[in-house]
Amino acid sequence: MTLPPEDRMTELRQLFFETAGELVQKLNDEAMRLEKSPGDAETARSLRRTVHTLKGDAAACGFRELSELSHEFEDVLALGNTAAAASVPEIALRAADVFAALLEAYRTGTKLPSIMSLRADIARLAHPAPGGAVKAKKKTRKAAAKESRWSEYEQLAITHAVAKGKHVHHVVVPIDPQCVMPIAGRQMIQLALASLGEVLALYPLDGSLERINQVEAALASEKPAEQIRAKCAIPTVALNVRVTPLCAQAPSHPLRKVPAADSELVDSEVNDKAAMPAASEAAAGVTATEAPSTAEPAAAPAVPAVPDNLLRVDAEKIDSVLNLVGELILAKSMLQQTLLEFGQRFPKDVLRGKFADAMAFQGRVLNDLQHSVMKIRMVPVDQLFRRFPRIVRDVGRQCGKEVELIVRGGQTDLDKSILDTIAEPMTHLVRNAIGHGIETAEERVRAGKRAQGTLRLGAYHQGNQVVIEVSDDGHGIDAEKVRQRALSQGLLRADQAARLTEAETLDLILRPGFSTAEEVTEISGRGVGLDVVQSVLGRLKGTIQIETTLGRGTTFRMRLPLTLAIIRALMFRVDQRLYALPLNAVAEIARTVEEEIHQVEHYDVLQLRNDVLPLLRLGAKPPSGPETARRKVFVLVINSGERKFGVVVDALEGEDELVIKALDDQSITTDLVSGASILGDGRVVLILNMIALMERFTRGRTDATGPRMAGLLSSVVAAESSRGGIGSGEVQARGTAGGQS
Amino acid sequence: MEKFAPVKRSEDGQPVRYLIVDDSVFARKNLARMVETFGGQVVGEAGDGVSAISEYERLTPDIVLMDITMPQMEGIEAAEKIVRDHPSARIVMVSSVGYQENIVAALQRGARHFVQKPVKPEVLYEVIKYVMRDDGVTVRSAGAGA
Repeated sequence: MTLPPEDRMTELRQLFFETAGELVQKLNDEAMRLEKSPGDAETARSLRRTVHTLKGDAAACGFRELSELSHEFEDVLALGNTAAAASVPEIALRAADVFAALLEAYRTGTKLPSIMSLRADIARLAHPAPGGAVKAKKKTRKAAAKESRWSEYEQLAITHAVAKGKHVHHVVVPIDPQCVMPIAGRQMIQLALASLGEVLALYPLDGSLERINQVEAALASEKPAEQIRAKCAIPTVALNVRVTPLCAQAPSHPLRKVPAADSELVDSEVNDKAAMPAASEAAAGVTATEAPSTAEPAAAPAVPAVPDNLLRVDAEKIDSVLNLVGELILAKSMLQQTLLEFGQRFPKDVLRGKFADAMAFQGRVLNDLQHSVMKIRMVPVDQLFRRFPRIVRDVGRQCGKEVELIVRGGQTDLDKSILDTIAEPMTHLVRNAIGHGIETAEERVRAGKRAQGTLRLGAYHQGNQVVIEVSDDGHGIDAEKVRQRALSQGLLRADQAARLTEAETLDLILRPGFSTAEEVTEISGRGVGLDVVQSVLGRLKGTIQIETTLGRGTTFRMRLPLTLAIIRALMFRVDQRLYALPLNAVAEIARTVEEEIHQVEHYDVLQLRNDVLPLLRLGAKPPSGPETARRKVFVLVINSGERKFGVVVDALEGEDELVIKALDDQSITTDLVSGASILGDGRVVLILNMIALMERFTRGRTDATGPRMAGLLSSVVAAESSRGGIGSGEVQARGTAGGQS
Repeated sequence: MEKFAPVKRSEDGQPVRYLIVDDSVFARKNLARMVETFGGQVVGEAGDGVSAISEYERLTPDIVLMDITMPQMEGIEAAEKIVRDHPSARIVMVSSVGYQENIVAALQRGARHFVQKPVKPEVLYEVIKYVMRDDGVTVRSAGAGA
C-alpha cells in the first residue's frame, strides 16, 4: 500500500481489528435475537447498523472484501421487505462467521476464506426485491457509496491529487480466470502500477480472496492511459485492462460527488453513533441472565472514534512493565533479607526501625503497583463468554438439541492472555457438553427432565485464582465406563485401574490417547481431545476438575491464576533443596513424625484426622531406624479438586511472592519443575509443577511401585547439578543435593 | 516446439542473456531450451541462491529465472539480495502452485514476475516479453524466423 504514514496505518489497523471483532460479536448477538423474535424491526435496524459500521471501518482500513461484502449485506438489509425475511438471521450468522474469518485472515496475513457462498446467500436474499424497490433517497446514497468505492481516506487522497493537478486514473484489471495465482497476480499489478506513478488506492488489499476477480486502483500518473494499460496487461494474469480518468468526468462521478457523498456518509455515521448505545444495550440482553454493562467500556467503542482518555496499548508493553515489577519484587526481597541481617548484627540500632518502616512502605506501594499493572491486563471474562450464545446455538442445532445457556460472573476480571488462551479449551468443553453431555429432548423427558438442556458458564474469583465453570445438566459421566474404555484402549492395566479413585478415573478422559473415536461419545465419556484442555491449563499453571453426577450433569471447573508472572508460593525444603508450590494448591500443612507414616499397599499414608491421606515423597526415603522414626516432617496437604494427597517435605521455608523465571529445556529435564525463581538472598527456588506432580502421584500409585515414588525429585536434582544448574551462579541451594541415593 | 519470434535486447539487438537458477538440473536444462527457442542466450546457471548471487554479479544477465525452493538459500532471499544491489535486475520467479505466498513475498522483495511450474513455453515467452518491455528495451523482430 502506498497509503502514506505507515505507522498511522498500522495503528489504525490494530484498532480496527479490535473494534471489528466486537462488531462481529454484536452481529452474532443481534442475529440470534432476531432469530428469537423474527421480524423485530428494532433488532433488524440495529443489525443493519452493525453491518454498516463494520463496512465503514473496513473500508477505512482498506479491507476491501470485508467492506464490499458488508456493503452488499447492508444494502440488502436496507430493502424493507427483505429485512423481515426469515432467512436474515441465518444469513447474518453466516455473515458473522465469514466476517470473522476474513478478519482473522487479514490480521494474520493468511489466505482469505471464500466468500462466494455468502455472497450468493446475500444475493438470494436481495433477489425477491429488485433494485427498483429501493427508495429514491436510499438509491442516491447507495449509488454514491457504490461509486465511491474508495475509503474516505483514499478519496481524500484522490481529491488532493486532483487538486494538485495530477492525473488520476481509475484502473480496472480483470484477473484472468485461468490465472492460478491471483494473489501473486494482484501483487504484480500493484508493482506495475507503482512503477507508473502513485497508487492512491488499490483493491483488493494485501493478501486476498481465493478468487480475486479484478484489481481496481486509483493511480496518480502522468503516463498516458495507453502505457498504463500496456503495463497492466500482465501475461497470464490480466485480461483487458480498463483505464479511465478519474478526474475528468461528468457530475455523476464519485470525485465530483465526493463532498456530497461524504457529508451524507458522515450524517448517517452520526446517526448510527447516536443509536449505538441503545443497540448495545439491547445486544446485552442476549447474554441471557447477564447485562454486561460493566463490561461495556472495553466493548463499547465499536467505532474507531475512541474517546481521548482511552488508550490502546500493546499488550507487550504492559508485559514488560509487569516484568519490571517482578524485578522490583525481587529487589524488595533482597532488601528485606539485608534488613534481616542488619537487624541480627545491630539489634539495637535505631536505624533498623526506620529501615523497616521504609521497607514496609515500599512493600505496600510495590504491592499496589503490581496490582495496578495486573489490573491493566485484566479484562472481563465476558469478552470470552459473549461468543458462546452463538456456539451453543450452532452446536445445539447440529446435534438437534435444545440448549439454554446461562451465563454468570461475566464481569469477573482475568488476565487477557490467559483469557485468550483458554478460549479454545473452553469452546471445546462447551461443544462437548452439548454434544455428549446433554441428552436429546426425548431422552431428557424420559429421564424426567426438562426437554431443554441447560448449559451454565460461570466465573468467579477465589483467592488468587479465577474459577471458570462449564456445567451441563446432562447425563453425567459414568466413571465405570471410562475405566472400561481406558482399559480397552490400553491406557492402563487392570490392576492400576482398580486402584484409581473415582476422581482419578474421571481424569482419564483428559489424558492424551483417551480415545477420540466415535464410540466414546456413546458412553457419557467425552473423549474428544480433552487432553488439549488439560495441556493448556497445565501451561497456565491452572487445574481442571471434573465433577459429575450420573443422570444429573457434569461440571468442568477450571482454576486459573490471575496472572502468569508472579505467584504466591509456599517454599519448603526437601533433601536440603529449596522448592516451592503455588500457595493456593496447598490446603493445609500438617506436622508429623516419620513413625506416623504408614504403609498401605505400596504407598505411604498418613492418618489425618478422620482421613487417610496418601503421601507423595519428594525426597529420598530415610533408612528405617529408631532415629528416623522420630524425625519430624511436614506434610503439605494438596487439595486439587477431588483429589487430595500429601507431600512430605523436610522443612518449611515460608511463603513469598515469587517472580517466575522460565527455565529453558537445557537447564531442566523434568516436567516436574515448571519454573524457578530467585529469592532475595540469591537462592534459587524451583517451582514444582502441580499437574505433573499429581500425574506422577497417580501413576506411581497405580504402578504399585511405592518405593520408587520416594525420591521423586532426586533425579531432578541430579540432572540439574550435573548440568551446572539453573540461574546465574546462585549456588547456595545447589551442591547440597546430598540426599540423592 | 512452437516457434517464437525472438526477443532481443533493444539497445544492441543482441540475444537476451539469461541466468537460470534451479536446484534441479533437469529444470535448468528445460528452461534453458525454452529460452533458447525465444532467441535467448543462457549465460549461466546456478543450483542455489548463494551461487545465484555470485553468478549474477559476474554475468549481470538481462533476466534471471529463479526457482523458489532451493538448498542453502531460498530463491526469495537470493532475489531480494540481488535486487537490493541491482535494482534494475529482472528476476522472474519460477514456482509450483501452492507457493503463492512465497511468490507474493518475492514480488514484494523486488522480483518482477512469476511463472508457474510446469512452465509452459508460451507463458514464459509472454512473461519474458513483458518483463523486457518493462523498461522499453525489447525489440520484437516481427519476422517469424526462429
